[in-house]
Parts: sequence; C-alpha cells; structure tokens
Amino acid sequence: MVSNSSLEQAIDKILEKTEKEILSDLENSASTSKKTLDDSLPILEQEYDQIISNGKKEADKIEKQITGSSDLEARNKQLTTVEESIDKVFTKALDEIANTDRSGDYSNLIKSLLEESTKTLGTTDVIVFTNSKDRDTVQSALSQYSGAELSSETIECLGGVKVKSKDGAMTFDNTLDAKIERLKPLIRKDIATQFGVSN
Amino acid sequence: MSAEGGVQYSKIAEIKGPLVVVDDVSNAAFDELVEIETKEGERRLGKVLEVGNGKAIVQVFEGTTGLSISGTKAKFVGKLMEMPVSKEVLGRVFDGLGRPKDGLPDPIADKFIDINGEPMNPEQREYPKDFIQTGISVIDGMITLVRGQKLPIFSGSGMSHNLVAAQIARQASVVGTQDDFAVVFAAIGVQYSEAEYFRRSLEESGALKRSVLFLNTADDPAIERIITPRVALTVAEYLAFELGMHVLVILTDMTNYAEALREISAAREEVPGRKGYPGYLYTDLSTIYERAGKLNGRKGSVTQVPILSMPSDDITHPIPDLTGYITEGQVVLGRDLFRQGVYPPVNILMSLSRLMKDGIGEGSTRADHGEISNQVYDAYSRAQEVRALAGIVGKAGLTEIDLKYMDVGDVFEKEFLTQATDENRTIEETLTILWKIVSKLPKNEITKIKDKFIDQYYQEK
Amino acid sequence: MAAEGRIVWISGPAVKADGMSEAKMYETVTVGNDKLVGEVIRLTGDVAFIQVYESTAGLKPGEPVVGTGNPLSVLLGPGIIGQIYDGIQRPLKELSKASGSYIGRGITTTPVDMAKKYHFVPTVSNGDEVSAGSVLGTVQESELIENSIMVPPDHKGGKITKIVSEGDYDLETEVATTEKDGQSIPLKMYHKWPVRKPRPFLKRYDPTVPLLTGQRVIDTFFPIAKGGTGSIPGAFGTGKTVTLHQIAKWADSQVVVYIGCGERGNEMTEVLVEFPHLKDPRSGKPLMDRTVLVANTSNMPVAAREASIYTGVTIAEYYRDMGKDVVLVADSTSRWAESLREMSGRLEEMPAEEGYPSYLASRLAEFYERAGRVRASGSPDRDGSVTLVGAVSPSGGDFTEPVTTHTMRFIKTFWALDAKLAYSRHYPSINWMNSYSGYLADIAKWWGENISDDWLSLRSDAYGVLQREDTLKEIVRLLGPEALPDEEKLILEVARMVKIGLLQQNSFDDVDTYCSPEKQYKLLKLLVDFYKRGQQSLKEGAALADIRAMSVVGSMLKARMDVKDDEMAKLDQLDVDMQEQFKSITGVKVRN
Repeated sequence: MVSNSSLEQAIDKILEKTEKEILSDLENSASTSKKTLDDSLPILEQEYDQIISNGKKEADKIEKQITGSSDLEARNKQLTTVEESIDKVFTKALDEIANTDRSGDYSNLIKSLLEESTKTLGTTDVIVFTNSKDRDTVQSALSQYSGAELSSETIECLGGVKVKSKDGAMTFDNTLDAKIERLKPLIRKDIATQFGVSN
Repeated sequence: MSAEGGVQYSKIAEIKGPLVVVDDVSNAAFDELVEIETKEGERRLGKVLEVGNGKAIVQVFEGTTGLSISGTKAKFVGKLMEMPVSKEVLGRVFDGLGRPKDGLPDPIADKFIDINGEPMNPEQREYPKDFIQTGISVIDGMITLVRGQKLPIFSGSGMSHNLVAAQIARQASVVGTQDDFAVVFAAIGVQYSEAEYFRRSLEESGALKRSVLFLNTADDPAIERIITPRVALTVAEYLAFELGMHVLVILTDMTNYAEALREISAAREEVPGRKGYPGYLYTDLSTIYERAGKLNGRKGSVTQVPILSMPSDDITHPIPDLTGYITEGQVVLGRDLFRQGVYPPVNILMSLSRLMKDGIGEGSTRADHGEISNQVYDAYSRAQEVRALAGIVGKAGLTEIDLKYMDVGDVFEKEFLTQATDENRTIEETLTILWKIVSKLPKNEITKIKDKFIDQYYQEK
Repeated sequence: MAAEGRIVWISGPAVKADGMSEAKMYETVTVGNDKLVGEVIRLTGDVAFIQVYESTAGLKPGEPVVGTGNPLSVLLGPGIIGQIYDGIQRPLKELSKASGSYIGRGITTTPVDMAKKYHFVPTVSNGDEVSAGSVLGTVQESELIENSIMVPPDHKGGKITKIVSEGDYDLETEVATTEKDGQSIPLKMYHKWPVRKPRPFLKRYDPTVPLLTGQRVIDTFFPIAKGGTGSIPGAFGTGKTVTLHQIAKWADSQVVVYIGCGERGNEMTEVLVEFPHLKDPRSGKPLMDRTVLVANTSNMPVAAREASIYTGVTIAEYYRDMGKDVVLVADSTSRWAESLREMSGRLEEMPAEEGYPSYLASRLAEFYERAGRVRASGSPDRDGSVTLVGAVSPSGGDFTEPVTTHTMRFIKTFWALDAKLAYSRHYPSINWMNSYSGYLADIAKWWGENISDDWLSLRSDAYGVLQREDTLKEIVRLLGPEALPDEEKLILEVARMVKIGLLQQNSFDDVDTYCSPEKQYKLLKLLVDFYKRGQQSLKEGAALADIRAMSVVGSMLKARMDVKDDEMAKLDQLDVDMQEQFKSITGVKVRN
C-alpha cells in the first residue's frame, strides 16, 4: 500500500499544486477581470457619455430645427394675416374711390392728371381714354388742349385717364388704378404700421 | 420712391439676344428700370444699357423669347432698380430678381434701395480683423477667414464646394459672440438640388429664420443672373449696416454670372477680351465682390464666400483669374484630393487668405499661429516635391529627411485636412494637429518658427 | 467762352454732348444736372465725347454739359502729405463728410484745406530776380516734410516786388509779387498744374544712387536706382501688393506717392490704418507723414482710374521739384490699361492686341518717362528724383500679354513674381532667374563706397550658386539628389540656405520686415563664406552630412529674424562660430 500511499501523496501533491495554481489563476483572473472591469468603467462611462451626448446633439439639432421652423411658421402666418388686412383696407378704399362724387374737386383732379400726362409725353396731340363715369368730366377738361381727342372707346378703371400719342408710339397711363399701383408699397407700409407691425 | 409713372413706348426697332432696342424714346435715363409688356400682357423687367439719339437699348432679364416687334411695349419706370428691404426679409425665399418665391406677400418695405449699391469710400472702411471660427481645420488654421473678407471657393464641376460652403455657414454662425448674424444665400444658375441642399442644411441647424435665400436655378432665365447677386448684396448691406448684423453671403456659382454677362456683351457686339468675356469683366466683378467689408462706426459686417467652378479646373481661366485679383485670397479645391475621397479637398498650396495675418495671433487665436502655419505650408510643399521625386527614383532614392517629409504629407492629409461634415473643431484642436505635423520633423528643419514657440509646443517623441 | 451743350447719348462712363464747338480737347466739363465731373476726350463736329469720372446712372439725354475752360489739373501746395485722394484729387475724407460711408456724386471740395495757416519763411527779398521753379520760401508741411513754395513752372519770371515777412499765412494769401515788362503777377503758396503735362526741369542725371528698400532680394540682387523705373508683374496671390507695401514703407525716399489704381478697397484702408503707426527707420517719425495716397478702387468709376495715374505722378514731380527723392508706387498699371481699353471700346476705336488701343504702348512710355533724377528749374540748385514702380497684373499670370510686354520695353528693373514660389510660401516670390536689374553696374559704386568693396563680387558669387542650382535641379528631377557628387550637393545645400536665409523675407516679422544695407551685406558674406569654406572642407575630406549637421546652419538661416539691425556683432560671432565648426569637422589638418 506504500506505493499506494506514496502515489496518493504524489497525487495529493499534484492536486494541491494544481489547486494552488488554479486558485492563483483564479485569483489572477479575478484581479484581472476586476482590473479589466475597473479599466473598462471609464471607457464605458465615456461611451455612455458619447451616446448621451450624441443623442443630445441630435436632440439639439431637432430642437433647433423645430423651434426654428415653428418660429418661422408663426412669423409667416403673421405676414399672411397682415396682408389679408391690408387687402381688406385696399378693397374698401378702392370702393370708396370708385364711388366718389364726380363734381368739384374731382374735375380738378382730372385736369391735373391731363396736365401731367401731356407734359410727360411732350405733346398735346393725343387720344385720351377714360371710363364711362368720367367721360363728361374729361371731355369738358379737354378743351384746353389743342389736338387732344377723347376716344370713343372706354376703358375699365376706377377713374383718371390714359393718354396715347396720336402716332401710337407713346402711352402714359395716368388712371387712378395705375397711380395706386405705384403707391401701393408705401400705402402697405402705412397700413402695416397702423396695425402695429413695424419694422 | 415716387408715384410718377413712366411713359410706355411701342416702337420696337430691334430684338437681338437678350436686348430690345426701342425707338423714338425721348425720356429715358441710363441704367433706368424698364417694364416690358408682351402682346399677351405678360410683364418682364429690364434696364437701360445705352440711351441717346432717340434710341434706348434695353436688356431684358427674363429673356426675349416670345417678344415680337409689333405689340411689345416698353415702359421706362422713372427709377433705377430697387429692392424693398426690412427685417422681415429674414426667413424668406425670393427669386433671382428679388420677388417672393415662397407664396408669401411682398415684404413690407422699410426702405427701397438701389440694387447697384455705391462704392464704399476706402477712407470709411474699417480694416477687417475679427477671426471667424469655421470649425474647419484647414480654413481656420491655414486660410483664416475674417469678418468683412471676401474669400471665394475655386472649385470644379462635381466637387464638394457646396458641402464646404454649407459647413461654413452652419458652423461659423453658431460659435462665437452674442452678436446678431444672418446668412444670405444667392443661387445663380445652379441646379435646384444644390439650392435645396443648402436650404435644408440651414433648416437643420436652425439658421433658416436668420437666412435670406435668392434662387435663380438652372432653368430660370439666364440674364436674371446679372441681378441675383446684386439684390442679395443689397439685402446683406441693409442687414449689416442698418441693422448691425454680421452677414455671411454665399454666391454660387459666379461662373454662371460671368456667362450671362458674356451673353449680353456678345449681343451688343462689343470687342471681346479673353475667351470672349467682355473687357470690363474685372470692373464688373469688382462691383460685386467689393461690396464685402466693414464700415467705420457701424456694427455689422458683410463677409462674402462666392463659389465659382473653374472651367476645366483651369485657374488661369478669366473668371477665377479676375476674381482672384479682386478677392482677398481664395480657397482652391483640388481634383486629386477629391478623387482620393478627402473632405474637404482643399489644395492649400494654391489657397491663400490675405487678411489672415491680421485676424490671427495673440489676442485672437494664439501667438504661434502665424509661424506654425507658415512652417506647415513650407513642409507640405516640400512633401509634395518629395512625393514627385519618389515617383521617379522610388523610395530608395530618398534621403532620411525626405522620408520624414513624406510622413508630414500623410499626416497633414489624413489627420488635419480630413474631417467630417458635421465635425466642428476648435482653433486649439486645429493648432494642436498642426504642431503634431511639424513635430514629425527634426528641430533643425524648423526655420520659420521662433525658438520660444518650439520649446513650448514641439511634441517630442 | 465756355462751351455749353446738351447730352445726346450715354453708355456707362462715356457720354456724347452736342453744341460743344467751343470745347477744347482734355478740357474738364460738368455733366448733367448733378454736375458730375468729366473730361473731353474726342471732338467731332460740335459733338464732344466725354469720359465721366463719376457714376452716370440716372443721367438723361437733354441734360446740360458745361465747359470749365481748364484742363484736368491738380492743386499743388502744402497740405497734400498725409491725404487720401480719389483719382481726380478729391480728398476722400471730405467726400465722406458730404456723402457718408459711400462715395456720392457731384460733390465739390478743395484738395487741401485752403484756410489752414502755415508758418512761411521767405528765402527771397525784394528786388531778387526769380524764374519759373525758383523757391520763394518754405513752410513745414508735416513733421517730416519741409515744403518749398515755388514760382509756378509756367511763370515767365521777373523781379520780386513784394514778399511777405516770416509769419503764418493761409493758402489764399498773396505771399509774393513778381514784375516783368510792366506786368505784375501775385503769387500764392499753391498753384495748379495740368496732370497730363510733365513738369519741366533743368537737366536729367544718370541714376547712380540705389533706392534702398530694406528688401534683400531687391537691394542685394535686383536693385533699383533713385529716379529709375521698375515693374512688378505677377499673377494673383503672388504677393504683389505686399511687396509694394514694403517698398512704400521702407524705401529711403522723402516722399511716397501710393496709387491704388483699380485695386481692392481694403488695401488702401490697410495703408491708412497701418502707416500712421509705423515709424520711418531713419527719422523715427510716422510713415504717414511722408505719404500721399491716391485711391481709385476697382469698383469706383473707371474713367477716374485712368486719371489717377497722372494725378499721382504730377504730385510726385511737385515734391521732386523741391529737391526731394520721391517714390511712386502704382498698383496696378494693368487696371489702368483696362480703363484705357474700356474707354477706347466705347469710342469704337480700332482695337489692337487683346482689345487694347493701339496707343497703349505710347501711353505707358509717356508715364515711365516721367521718372528721373533731375536738377530742378529755378534757384537755388535742387536735385530731386521720381522713382516709378508699377505693378502689372497679367491675366492668367501670362507675361506675354500686351501690358507686361510693353511695360518691359520702358523699365529697367523687372521683378518677376512667381506663382510656384508663392505656392511654396517663398516670399517675396521674386523669381531670381527671370528678374533683372539694369542698374547693377551704376549703383555698385555706391555700395563700394558706403558698405564694402567686395559687395559686387559677393553678389555674383551668391547669384552664381543660384544659377548652378537651377541647372542641377533638372538632373535631380530626373535622377534624384543622390546621383550628384558631394560638391554639387553642397551647391544645392548652399542654394537652399541662400533662399531661406537671404532671399526669403517675412514682412510680418518685426525684425525681418526691414533689413539695413549693413545687415544685408553681412548675411550675404556669411553665406558666400560658408560656400567657399564648405568647398574647401570637402576637398579636405570632410563629409557633406557633417557640414549639413553643423549647428551654425540653423542659426544662419534664422539670423534674418533673430539679429536686429543694431546687433551686427552677432553676425560677426556667427562667422567665427562657422569657421570653428568647419575646423572641427575637417579635423586638425587645416591649410591656410
């Protein structure tokens, strides 16, 4: 049995050694893994931060985009609303002009429009167009301009005159519509200021 | 603006190319705005190029297609072409002539401004020296942009100039002070998709509400392109000098502008200069580029980044050539780098920022900035020579020092130049990489940097 | 009687007016209701062709054109120094008072402050005979400039019958009266002179004195003489403007006239901002106290660009006539030539090469002919000079284009800027193989007398190295540097050192921006000595690698930045160090 016991001893020894090795290995691996774990923590944290910050960046981007767009949408809606109001004011004003009394001051206005037109064209040898409402007023003002004729054709406009040289080469549109069209940007600004939309 | 209307003339003598010659005109001014009415009642805009002896030559922006000698009328409006401006133009989209393209009403004008602008009095200019951090290393480090500068991007067809410009617009506007900024973008004959890329890029960074877009795309009338940069700059000047904003203006593509100018010159049968471009191309371009700057006693600034594609990548072509003589430097994109997939593919040796020296250094970037960038220019240029040599004699024929320069070239392109389109580097990060490049060289090769900086920043192995 | 006509035609800066039979060629006229300034450049029947110096936008046919009876002239008197003018001598500062930040139209101002009082010291007395150009007295115009009040050059001379006593007078005061043939003529401290007519002088000298610019590649390699002509052609980005600014800053002249002709606005602003803070290295006074700017930037009216060159050179001649050395820098003559081309095109003249008018060459010749070192007219004897330096902006960097080729016929110093050098940041990018100076032999005497006898031979040695390198480069390009024998490798090494240590100059470095002639000489000598000593040690068996590794090499390359002008001993020490280090690498056996 001696041999047996010695064998056992040997086996024990080996086992013990192995055990030690294993234990130490285990210890090692434990410490290594602990170290790895320790080491990886900051990396993990970094990664985590990265994920968070990326997400935040993305969120910021989206937020910026959304606030940017919604600000813009609100502003654009306001612009449209103001424009609608301006249009209403305009329509009303145009209505009033179309229906003004054609006597007194108005005939003076026609006279000055004719004066301006013939001066700009540099000739009184012209054909004058106007709407049906203003024909009489224009006709009576025309006597002062030699060579000026009232066209039998009427044009559609709020009032005022359109003057054409007899050779047809030049035309000067001095209807109230044309005048208002030219003034429109300034009038729009006035109206907008009254609505409290100033720049 | 006056309510005086203009006379309409109906005697058309000639129509050729984009020009209409009107006869028997007695009351027109040089440069006056003209409204052309077609037989069908359609209205187009134009301006007087020449007037006298009863004739007026009118350039029609929307082209003369469909106009006829009889039935076409020209009304001389009695004023120069103007752009209505107000703060509300921000966030708006206009066409190439400055008319709304976004379905919204005309802006309610605070002012009407002559789109040609007036030359700034050089005595009243403020010399530009405020560093703009674009977050793009190669620009901040080597071709520094400052507020009030005009720095074009010279590119070629298909290269990534739009990405670079959009990145500048996004990043330059985000960093920095609390000062008001704005971006004015003018598309001049570019494809719709390019303009749209820009719009989306501004939208994503939330900068759209601080931007004004003028779009003349490839399918819009060519002659309109003469006007597009001018209306854009008129708005930019208003935002900068009346409202005190720092305005970045991007004009793309100036080559299309010059081509429109050539078309008009040809129609007028003028004696051409080089490659058929008119002799006054330089002067004409200067009336656009010189509208960048800062003014004494005014808060804002107009900074221009025009983009132009060099026909056949040829930098001596009249358009880049004359542009380079006017602008304060140029950022040149290189076809080779682009092919290698480098972004941004900037060829620094051909690039330059003239105002860099005043925008960098102590107090704005860092005291060593000027010298380190000089050294890197020098080293990269040596690297290119060595590469060329290696192509002939092989690496074996190179000296030890030559090999170090090869290294410099690689690090420069891979670590410094290359950067993501959404990567926003600080100037410190940029300078650190520059030192990393120079530290590849032994100290006795460093001839452009003072010893005190070498002691402080040289990265020993 | 002054001509009074009506506009009949307008195209850009060109206007035709009829009813102008009274007008004279080159007479100035006022154009339109806004009274824009213009000049008659052609007369056909009663139609005058007018170039307008201001923007013509909004001008209409039918508006009036009125003659002034006078040719385009400048006002010459104290108060010009330190000013910035547009192309027709309107002070930009005064314009801004009238029209703010932008340049308005139809503004009339006087070029100098007529009410400002100057302390006048008479130098003639009653009864003295004076002639055209004679000095009547002096005033201190700026800290640096003593202005001589002269009898106008077109004056017929005579006897002084009145001269004011020393005291403070404004420009409109009659300070003297002359009498001849019973006619008396009152004289003020200023007079007017037509810009297109060169001011007369007594005689012309050969230019033998160098104009020192403090720029090594210029002074040492391609010098220009006082009263000489030079040209800087270069593609964009080659550093033309910086080089011109350097000349304007550091040239050893008493007056600098800087013409920004069709160039960038910010460049003029830069001069305005920078010059008052820079000190003249010789007098220690602000550089602005000797500088006059004429600014007609690219976006300013093109006709005034054409005039700006003449305005500038007439002002330069005025100070020359006082006996001063004047440098005129024109940036850029190409833009001036383009303005000629544009007007010529509108006149529908027959174009020559590239659309330029056929008289381009003669106009360039006339301009450069106004340079020179001269004895001024009148008494006392005064010698002065006008040195002309013109930038050329060849399209596409091509030196065969008309402006460059014609300019080369009329100038003697040619500084060819090179895009390749600029791309590798070798500044100033003056190419040493393509540049030349016709004054080298003339001014060598000055260097010999003032600096050292061996200057010219050292310069030839250094230049020889550069020439050798240029041929060797071809071989290197094909075979690599290792294919060369050590002796030739040394040439490459020394050429590199000459380029970095001498030719390159950093204008933004406080020390390097200006280099005194002494320092230039010592740096040159150091490099040539190094070359000779290197050749010798190679013969004695030293290894090239050891020569390259000498610590003195780095110090020599940085000496231009490290050694200040008052530290010449440091350069001598470098020479000693160099000899020592050569000894140590060649071992003990050193032959004498």
